Amino acid sequence: MTLYQSEIIRIRELCYSNTHQLQTVIGTKNYIDQHFEKELNLDMLSHIRYTSKFHLLRLFKRYYGLSPKQYLTDRRIEKSKHYLRSGMSVTESCFAVGFESPASFSTLFRRKTGMAPGEFQKRATFAK
Amino acid sequence: MRVKVIGIPVLDQDKALAFYTEKLGFIKKVDVPISETSRWLTVVSKEEQDGTEVLLEPAPLHFEPAKVYQQALYEAGIPYTQFNVDNVQAEYDRLVSLGVAFSVKPTEMGTVKIAVFDDTCGNNIQMVEML
Repeated sequence: MTLYQSEIIRIRELCYSNTHQLQTVIGTKNYIDQHFEKELNLDMLSHIRYTSKFHLLRLFKRYYGLSPKQYLTDRRIEKSKHYLRSGMSVTESCFAVGFESPASFSTLFRRKTGMAPGEFQKRATFAK
Repeated sequence: MRVKVIGIPVLDQDKALAFYTEKLGFIKKVDVPISETSRWLTVVSKEEQDGTEVLLEPAPLHFEPAKVYQQALYEAGIPYTQFNVDNVQAEYDRLVSLGVAFSVKPTEMGTVKIAVFDDTCGNNIQMVEML
C-alpha cells in the first residue's frame, strides 16, 4: 500500500464517517444541480432535507467549503458559459440559468470570469 | 493576476503529448520549440478550450531536484495534480479499456469520488468527481 492509499483511508475515517451528514449535503448539492434554473433559497433547501437552514448552511460549508448560495451562483455561471458558447444571447443565457436581471448576471459573470458575458462569447466564437 | 497555465513535469514530451491527447482526450494548444530538445507544449480540455492550459514541461530532464521531487511523489502514490470529470467510474472504465493503469480505483471520499492513474510520464494523476 502506498503512502497516499493509506492517507485516503485515514482521512476518510477522520473526516467523512458521518454518513447522515454526507447524505444531507450531497442531497442538497444534487437538488441544486437539478433545479439551478429555478428560484432556490435556503429555506426551501433545508425544508427538502428536513433540517434547519442554519444547520444546513454550516454542514454545506464544512463539506464543500462554500455556501449553497455560492455553489448555486457558480453552477449558474458555469452553465451560462455553455449557453454563451453555443450562441445563445446574453439575455437568454441569463434567464435560462435562473438569474432574474441581466445587469446582476453581467456583474456576477464579470466578477467570476474577469470579463463581461458578451466579451466571453466573442472570445469563445473567435477561438472556434 | 490570473491562472492561465499550470505545469506538469514529464519525462518525455512526445510520449506525454500522445498520452494526454490520445488517452485523456485533451487538445494540443501551443507547441513552440525553445531549444533543440524542449518545447513550450500545452494542452487544454476539449470541453474548456479557453480554460487553463496544462504545460507538459520537461523539467525532470534538465533539473535534478525536479526529477527527485517527481520520483518521490510517484513512489508515494501521491498525485501531482488532479482533473475534474463528471463521472469517475465511467472515465475509469474508458481509460482502463485503453490500457491506463490505476493505483487507486474509484473511491468515495466524502463529497467527492476519486481515482488515481499513471500518466506514463512519471506522475500519478487524480480524477475527481464532485458528488
